[in-house]
Amino acid sequence: MTGASHRTLLSWMVREEWRLHSELFGGRRFGGFPLVVALLTGVGTYALAITGTPPASVIAGLHALVALFGLQVGTVGLVGSDAMRDVLGDVTLLIFSARTLPLSMERLLSVFLVKEIIYYSGLFVTPMLAGYGGVAIARGTPPSTVALAWLTVTLAFTLGVTASLALTGLASRSGFALVAAVTAGTVAVVAGGVDPVALTPYRLFTDPSPIAALAAVGPPLVLAVVGIALFEPTEDDGEDGHHRAVDGLIERLSGDGLTRRPLLAVARSAGSVWKVVFSMGVLFVVTALVLQQVAAATGIEPGYGIAFGTLLGLGSFTTYSWVTQFDDPREYLRYPVGYADVFAGTLRAYLLLSVGAALVYLAVATIWYPLSVAALGALVQPPVALYVFGVTAYLTGLSPNDLLFDTPRFAVFGAALALLSTPLVVAALVVSTDPIAARGVAIAVAVLGALAGAILTRRAGPRWEATLRE
Amino acid sequence: MPAIETMELTKEYGDLDALSGLSLTVEKGELFALLGPNGSGKTTTIEILTGQRTPTSGSATVLGHDPVADPMPVRREIGILPEREDPPSFLTPREYLQFVCEVRSVEAADEQIEHWADRLAFAETLDSLSTNLSEGQRQRVMLAAAFVHEPDLVFIDEPLVNLDPIMQEQVKRHLADYCAEGNTLFLSTHFVDVAEELCTKVGIVTDGQLVATCDPREFEDDELLDFFIREVDAEREAVVQ
Repeated sequence: MTGASHRTLLSWMVREEWRLHSELFGGRRFGGFPLVVALLTGVGTYALAITGTPPASVIAGLHALVALFGLQVGTVGLVGSDAMRDVLGDVTLLIFSARTLPLSMERLLSVFLVKEIIYYSGLFVTPMLAGYGGVAIARGTPPSTVALAWLTVTLAFTLGVTASLALTGLASRSGFALVAAVTAGTVAVVAGGVDPVALTPYRLFTDPSPIAALAAVGPPLVLAVVGIALFEPTEDDGEDGHHRAVDGLIERLSGDGLTRRPLLAVARSAGSVWKVVFSMGVLFVVTALVLQQVAAATGIEPGYGIAFGTLLGLGSFTTYSWVTQFDDPREYLRYPVGYADVFAGTLRAYLLLSVGAALVYLAVATIWYPLSVAALGALVQPPVALYVFGVTAYLTGLSPNDLLFDTPRFAVFGAALALLSTPLVVAALVVSTDPIAARGVAIAVAVLGALAGAILTRRAGPRWEATLRE
Repeated sequence: MPAIETMELTKEYGDLDALSGLSLTVEKGELFALLGPNGSGKTTTIEILTGQRTPTSGSATVLGHDPVADPMPVRREIGILPEREDPPSFLTPREYLQFVCEVRSVEAADEQIEHWADRLAFAETLDSLSTNLSEGQRQRVMLAAAFVHEPDLVFIDEPLVNLDPIMQEQVKRHLADYCAEGNTLFLSTHFVDVAEELCTKVGIVTDGQLVATCDPREFEDDELLDFFIREVDAEREAVVQ
């Protein structure tokens, strides 16, 4: 034990996190972020409410969204080092100072975990709940329910972060152990009848009781302890056989260098192409669980195909982030190649990965759902993915990570996604009232989104070429 | 027709004047160095000449093309080695050079890659991921990427940075041989000895203006350094006054 107390370490880590973001995006722009988060959540909640979405569905979705965000935050902090290195140069974070200072990894990780939860709860989760709560209270929800939602949503975020840590810790010891654990969990849910939602903080929201409180706090604590005990930071040099194993496939699938390059970048970075498959899998499972809860809470059978297609399409944003993570946007200015061609190549790589992974899960869905669910999902997901690509490419070029904390850009991005996703989510929730009309509307909206995405993609090239030459 | 010609180039970044009316001419076959202190406008000049940036005003021609209005023909015909640029981390040098050859439509790319890897002494690392290479090895890969299509004109921003002394000598020889074949080289550097040893013509730039041009072969010992310091100081005093 050194002279540095936990509190001192925590204050340094919080300072480091703030410095990292404000350095990347500018202090004031970053400072306005919580306001935009609150505003977007408020507008989203209001839009869902006036289009007839049951309040239970909204709060269930909010829990799921924040838990997913927690998963993402934990993963970025711990295994996103190669992406960060390419964006910022050689970045050394305090979390890795166990290599050079007399601080144990366990101690650093514990403080890191607390920092992540405090920092992101303050900047994201609380503003989200403020946005949601403002609308919910105005529409008659008791303030005590909103307060409980704040607690359980924050715990859902904690669950996401700690699950991410535990999985990363397991992966740092053995890839086989990770696969075995995920398989065991899946078997327990599918064949063993275990209700995973009963082990989440959402249960505390729907059924406030001592047992539910234990179920809300227990899993994050266990996962945190497991993650801290197992995690070993390793430098992934990308030379492993499993990385190289997909090279031949990429060679066959990609016709040109501008497509092959982003595919190889994904395949060679930490987690290889499997991180796309994994993230889509998490999204698929969470969507299925939320839909199950919506059906149970409201008695309305939602449109599974539309919902899977929409959310797997929206989730393709992470794929965009991965296919561009090693791009230096200015590099292409040195070659006799237009940015329109660069974006076209990136789009091919993106669709290959995101649509490919989504189709795998939609095929898996036929085990539990009728074939029409997978068919509808397969009709909706690719257009939504194309829309996400177009919006992201147009707004952020080849630097999508700039989007994360650049307040004005994030606001436009959020609004653009809401524009497409709100009618799709509403269609999914009201499908039982008029199935043909709802499905028709969903497909029409998705096709319109694809058209908009194609136009934005085409415009992104000249726009960014001109911007980068300024 | 000169290889490069600029007329009164200016470039403003907000309140900062990076270039303030820079005019210069580089003839074909010359090994030209733009020599100047940090922040004098060297990199901005290269970026404008290679079509990577638009000037605020002024004009330029490179190999008879206008890099401002239509950068693509310029990019097609030249090679560029930017300062402190690495090959993509998760591609091997071979894959990166294959990519460069493909976008530049280089024929017999595999032979060319092997040739340049041998010539710049990184053949043994051709199939290692770039993230695992040393800084010097990455610099050699970037050098190969600038030359692999055998362009008539190459722009290099700080050519010897990150290279060990042995490799520096090899690169100097390579650059001299390249110009001896009738090609043109445009270097930017703040190291006087690099300009002195390598170049047939030096342009001294400070505060975004070309203040003098000279043939470094006409100087002895440290005379070029003295000349450089004198010119930079004189320009700065003039600005202060």
